[in-house]
Formats: sequence, C-alpha cells, structure tokens
Amino acid sequence: MGPWDEEQVLALAPDPASAKAGQAQARVTKWSGAGSSEHALWGYCQGSGKQPYQTTVDLSGPAFRCSCPSRKFPCKHALGLMLLWAAGGLPTADEPEWVDKWLAERSTRAERAAERAEKKPGEVADPLAAQARASRRADRVSAGMAELEAWLDDQVRRGLSGFEQRGYEELSRLAARMVDAQAPGVAGAVRRAAGVVGRGHGWPGELLEELALIHLTVSAHSRLAELPPSMADTVQTRIGWTVETARVQADGEKVEDDWLVLGRVVEPDDRLTVRRLWLRGATTGRLALILAFAPGGRRLDPLPARPGELLPAVLSFYPGALPLRALLTQTAPRLPGSRPAGLTARQALASYVDSLSADPWNERWPLVLQDVRPARNGANWALVDAAGDALELLPVDPWKLLAVSAGGPLTVAGEWNRAGFRPMTVWDGDRAVIL
Amino acid sequence: MRGWDGLVSSALLGTDRRPPTFDDLPPAVREQLSDEAGLLDAAALATLYKRAGRLPLRGIEPLPVAEGEDRPLPRPNAIRRLTAMVAGFQTAALGEWLRVAEAKGWGIPPEHLPALADYARGRAEYRPLVIAAAGRRAAWLAELNPEWRFLHEAVSDDPELWTHGNSLQRRAWFRRLRERDPAAALEALREVWPTESAATRLEFLGALKAGLSGADEEFLESALDDRSKDVRRLAADLLARIEGSQYGVRMAERVAAHLTESQGVLAVTLPQRVTKAMERDGIDPQAHPGLGRRAWWLKQLVAAAPLPAPDVLQLPVEGVAAEVLQAAWAEAAVREQNAEWARALLRSDASTDGRTSELLRVLPEEEWPAALEHLRTTTDLSELVGGLPVPWPVPLAVLVLDLLSKAGTARSWARLASIAARAVPPEALHHPITREPTGEEDTWRLRLVETLNFRREMYEELS
Repeated sequence: MGPWDEEQVLALAPDPASAKAGQAQARVTKWSGAGSSEHALWGYCQGSGKQPYQTTVDLSGPAFRCSCPSRKFPCKHALGLMLLWAAGGLPTADEPEWVDKWLAERSTRAERAAERAEKKPGEVADPLAAQARASRRADRVSAGMAELEAWLDDQVRRGLSGFEQRGYEELSRLAARMVDAQAPGVAGAVRRAAGVVGRGHGWPGELLEELALIHLTVSAHSRLAELPPSMADTVQTRIGWTVETARVQADGEKVEDDWLVLGRVVEPDDRLTVRRLWLRGATTGRLALILAFAPGGRRLDPLPARPGELLPAVLSFYPGALPLRALLTQTAPRLPGSRPAGLTARQALASYVDSLSADPWNERWPLVLQDVRPARNGANWALVDAAGDALELLPVDPWKLLAVSAGGPLTVAGEWNRAGFRPMTVWDGDRAVIL
Repeated sequence: MRGWDGLVSSALLGTDRRPPTFDDLPPAVREQLSDEAGLLDAAALATLYKRAGRLPLRGIEPLPVAEGEDRPLPRPNAIRRLTAMVAGFQTAALGEWLRVAEAKGWGIPPEHLPALADYARGRAEYRPLVIAAAGRRAAWLAELNPEWRFLHEAVSDDPELWTHGNSLQRRAWFRRLRERDPAAALEALREVWPTESAATRLEFLGALKAGLSGADEEFLESALDDRSKDVRRLAADLLARIEGSQYGVRMAERVAAHLTESQGVLAVTLPQRVTKAMERDGIDPQAHPGLGRRAWWLKQLVAAAPLPAPDVLQLPVEGVAAEVLQAAWAEAAVREQNAEWARALLRSDASTDGRTSELLRVLPEEEWPAALEHLRTTTDLSELVGGLPVPWPVPLAVLVLDLLSKAGTARSWARLASIAARAVPPEALHHPITREPTGEEDTWRLRLVETLNFRREMYEELS
C-alpha cells in the first residue's frame, strides 16, 4: 500500500484536538530512529519525560502502539508519525527487532481470529439446522408478502384519500410488520412510502409510484422460481436477504481492472453512517459500488483510494440482475489518475434507463458528465452540456463546484437519482477535486 | 404522461368507486398488461415508463464564463498547508500564506475560494488578499453570491460604479482613482458632494488622505463650513497635513501669539477664549478632562500648527506645564512624520501622551533597536513593538528573539512572544530559539517556536 495522504491520516484522529496535536508531532526534528517499511512505521519521539516514547504503526490495520500514557487512540505520536510518513518525511528501512516482534505477535493473533471467523459461513456446525432456519425464514417472508399484498389490494380498493391523516401511521406499522417478517428491504421501501404521504400537492402520484413498486416486488416474489436466477437474486436482495461477505468473496463474479474512484457520498446518521464509494473500471468500463458502514459515532474505514485515483484491484460482485455492489478482494498500490471521459446529459439519462431495464428498482446511478457548465435553475442549480441539455442538481452546497468551473465546462462525477444529480468529484484539468 | 392522472384519481377514490381504465395509457404500456392486470400492475409499468422517459431540461442558460488566465498552483505540500489552515489549523498565518503566494505568482486551488471568501467576509483585512487569490473568479463569485459582494472590489474602473454602485464598489473605485489621478478623484467627489449623507461625506473625505496636496486645499477650506461637525474636524485635520497651507499659516500665527522665546526661556500665555475663526479651524472650545480649559485650547493650537525647529524642546517652559507642549508636539510630529522631532522627543523622555509607539514608527527602521533598548527601561516592550509594521526588520527581530530566548517561560513574556511569532521576517525564522528545547507543555515558548517553524516551512514550500 502506498503512503496515505494527510486527509486520510487525520480522519483517524479520535477528536479535533488530537488531530491538531498530531500535526504538531509531524516534524522530523521530533523523531529519532524513525523509519518506514511496507508493513509498518516506527520511531522514538522525545516527549516531556526522560525516556522517549516508542511508537509503532502496523499499516495492515492500521493498528497503533505507543509507550506514551495517553488514553487517546491513536495517540498524537502515532498520528504525527503517520502524518510525517504521508508527507514523505520517513526514510525507508528494515523493521528493527522491537517492531518486528510486535508485528509478528499481531499477525498471529489476526490469523487465529480469522480461523474463528472462517468457520462461520463455510463450515456450518450443523448444516441441517441451518437449512431448517433458512426454510423457516422463507416461510415467514412468504407470509409477510401475502399480508402486504392483501393490504395493498385493500388500500387500492378503498382509496388512498384520507391518507394524509392515517397513512403515515398505518405505513409505519406495516413497515414494522415487515421487519418481523424478516423482510427488512421491503420494510425500508414501505417506510419510504410513508415519508411521501402529504408532502407537496403531488403526493398522491408519488405515493402511487412507491406502492406500485412495492407491489412489483411482492408479485415478483410470488413467481421467484420462474425468474431468471440473476433477477431472482435482485428480488431477494430487494426483500432483504443478505449474501454473506465470505460467500461473495468466494463465489462472486470476479473482475480485475484498474478502478477509477469516481467519488464518494457519505450519509451521516445518528445510528448508522453509510458511505457509498463508486468505481469505474478503466478497461472494462464496469461500474461498482463499495459500501462502508459505521455505527453511530464511530469512524468509517479509510478510503482505499482517493477520488480521482486508480485502484488496481480484483472486485467480487454481489449477485443480481444489475451487479453494482462489490467487495475489494485483492488490491495493489493505487496509481494517479487523469480526467475521465464522460457523457452528455442525454447519454447519461439513457445509461440510467439501461440500468432500470435490468433492475426496475434501481434508485442510484453513478454518472460522469463531460463538458457541462453550471447554470441557475430557479432557486437551485443545474449542469448544462454542450448541446444545451441540462440535469438539475440536488440542493447541496454548490460553491466548490461553481468556484472550480468559473463558468467554464467541467467533467463531473456524481450520483443520479430521481430528485437530481449529486456531484461528488469535479476535475480541474487532471486534478480531481472532492466536493 | 398520458393516462397517469387517471390511475392516480382511481387510486385516490378507490377502485370500488372508480374502476381504473387503461385505455388512456400509452400503447407500449397497454401491450404489456394482461387481462387480469390490476391498478397497481398498471401503475408499476407506468411508473417505470415515466422514469425511463425522463428528458433533460431545456432552455437553461449556463452562467457566463469568468474571463482571464489562472496562475499556476504551488507544490502539493504548500496546498496541503493551505487546506489545513482553511480547516482551522494555524489559521493566523493564512494572510501571510496568501501574501507570499501572491508575491511569488502562485494561484490557489479554486475549491478553497468559498471557504476563504466566508473567512474574509467578517475580516476586512483579508479581503484584498482573497480578491487577489480569486483572480478572475472574484467578481464572478461576487455576482453569484450576495454574501461575497465584497469580492467586487476587484473590478472598479467603470465610472458607472461611482454613480450607481453600492458603497463597497464606490469606495474601491474612489480609492483607485485617487491613487492614479488625485485631481480627477477630487473632481469626482466635488460633483456628488452636496447630495451625499454626512457619513458618506466623512468616508470619502478620509480617502483624500492618500495623495493629499495643495490642490485639495481650496476644497478642504470649504469643507470647514460643512453642516457636519465630524466632517469639519476631519477637514481641519487634513488641512494641517498640507505643507504651506493657509490653515497652517493661521495656526502658526495663533501659536506665535501665545509662545515667546526670550533669554533662553519659552514663555507661554494661555488663550483667553476660542474665537469663531478658531472654532471654524477645528479648535474644540469644550473643556477636556484632565486639563485646564485654557491649557487644552493651547494644546490644540500647538498640535495643529506646523512644527518649529526641535531645539525649542530644550528650553525651560513658563506659564504652562512643559508636558502640555510636549504632548502637542508629539501629536504634530506623528502627523508630519517628522523623524527629527520623533528622535528628539523619545531621547528626552518627554511626555508623549501615549504616542511613544507611534513616534517610534516615525523613526527610520534602522534606529528601532537602539531606541527600544533605551525605551524599554520605562515602557513595556510589547506595547512599543506592537504598533510597528510587520514584518519587522531583521535586527529588531533578532533583538526580540534574543531576549525571549533568555527569558525562560515566565508568563510576563507571553504577549511579546505572541507578537513576535507573527512579526519576525522570513529571514529571521531560523533564529536559534527554534532549535532550543521547548518542553511538551503548552507555554508561550512552545507556541512561539511552533509558529516560527510553521512559517519557515511555509516559506520553503512557496519558494
């Protein structure tokens, strides 16, 4: 793995004060006997005490060890060492013995943990019991789907008028029933429908769209066996069956390529922060989505590469009719990238339509737009291509994008959904700017 | 889409009451519907049909292009430092970074402009720097975001701005013209003068301070009869700055009537009253705290008059406390930027009425270190150097850093250290204090050394 950059290192800091303190430690003069190898960073840092602190970073984690008394983790010394490394301030050397010893201890521990973990998906202790569990769940899902279908039919027969009053509550209750039925995907769709009720004067039409697509899921589930296997997988994912990562790593479709990082969207949330990282294969042109999650308050894993960089890697794709979600199976050091080729507004919309024809429920679609210029669109903003076709921007802070453009044509990567385009990365010449 | 509204109203009223009809739907949708298809089947198909058929927006006019060239960007580590400062780390050095980058011909990555503009919005001193850094984007962004209107100062040659611009644009336009062509600026001001508010008159009158000359005298004389007292005061102050002005002559005559030198003694008679003519020239007849009324009148006269030769400072004074005269001369010395007087006042430990630091500034900078060595026995050093322009000359920086180097960590030096951290010029950033151990604790010494190192690295990166 190549050195990280400052932003990635600072993202590890447990709080802003630590980040600041870490930056103060990132000076060559603070360190003695410092060095870096492919696996680790190490050095002695002179603190207030008599003995210098002994600091080590295992890059495979990253994991940290420091002899300082700080309760912060990582401490400012580990952060400083990493920052120094990120700035190219650490000489390459062989690991000294004390570093080597710690690394060896860590890898033994990690192997043991991996052995324990591997038992779970592959070698099920009792295959019969597991099968019984799966079939119990299938029964519950089927019962849930039947209940949902009956409810939908009932609503449509009696009419949705009056939903402003009762709709939100009824749909929320229904969503909870779907969680009980072990169909969390459908539960999410029902919750989304609940959110539409009463919003704006066009809500009945929007609600009908949401309910119709839920109905589509339910009816697809009823004839699961007739569907092509990849479509059946899509429907199952939609309902909320998850494929274990170990199975994806083992059996998922493998695609090797230099993956251009198009950009990332982070949706912070009190309970679960989600990060969507979009990739595009330089040779295959395949699009891929790497999801990362962090429970409330915890930090996301560092990005495997920055937007605009190329990540040579093998990806393992989750199954489905529109295989987008993938796992990084094997990676090589990342490479600098240049400005990618992109689409016109019409081509971009057409590519989204193609995705819908594979997966009618697809909601998000990565786009690279080329030669687009910013424009006002009422109170919001839009991007206009050379032919005068425009896509509206979601109401996100547009100022970085505008400042980079200065009114001129841009290459922009972003995420498209029905409400508009959310820019993630813009290229200033060959320099990728994260928005 | 055709037929969709029919599906929605059927869903709203209920299919019991209003059975859905699919005849209005597009043929492509109808073809896919079986005979048993219900409302939701049709709605699902129609929803996808609608979503797939979405067209780009048309008739949207892109923003104009900001014309001009961009400067090259500095090295990545310089940009990383800028990013850190914008994010709140060592932000006090931001202005210096921008100044150095500007001087070296570097541009800045445009994505930082929004944060910099927000930063400069509440800090007027950063505005010219951000305007320079924004280059061709300054006016362009100002046009788009009303909160960044101040970025407009970048373009101010259009005479329309003077007659129709907002106050920021007018101020910038006027200042620029005054720099280039003082007479034309005076003419422009004369034209609008009668119709402007007192506050605006005061502001533009103040802008005449740059490029002030005898050509402005007549106009300023007329401003002595202005409706606003503040405008009258300011006009008097400006007239006092014009060498050989009638105002100066009048003041010199008044002073001569009250000060007489005979037999090595300066004899003072205090004024009996403030005449109408004196009041017109800005003399305040109201009593002044801490000083007798008549002494106060005298002090104002002396302070507003052209300075005599500094020998007069040596004479014993009769008729008023010598400090009154000394303070008045100090005021005049600062106004006239008279180094000879400043030197004489500082050497003689005269009363300067709190103007010591200003007088120091009047001296040529090579005299600062020696003057400070003399003055610091009586006056706090941080007070003296705090008013000096930055960056300091190297000898002054070395003098202060040498002192700090020997000072341990005593609290009383903290203020001087924090001034020095910013004022030391780039040539002195290698001072030995930066290599001395600071300890881990958060002391002024640690902060001083951190700031000096930070600035040194900054200069290296931008070289």
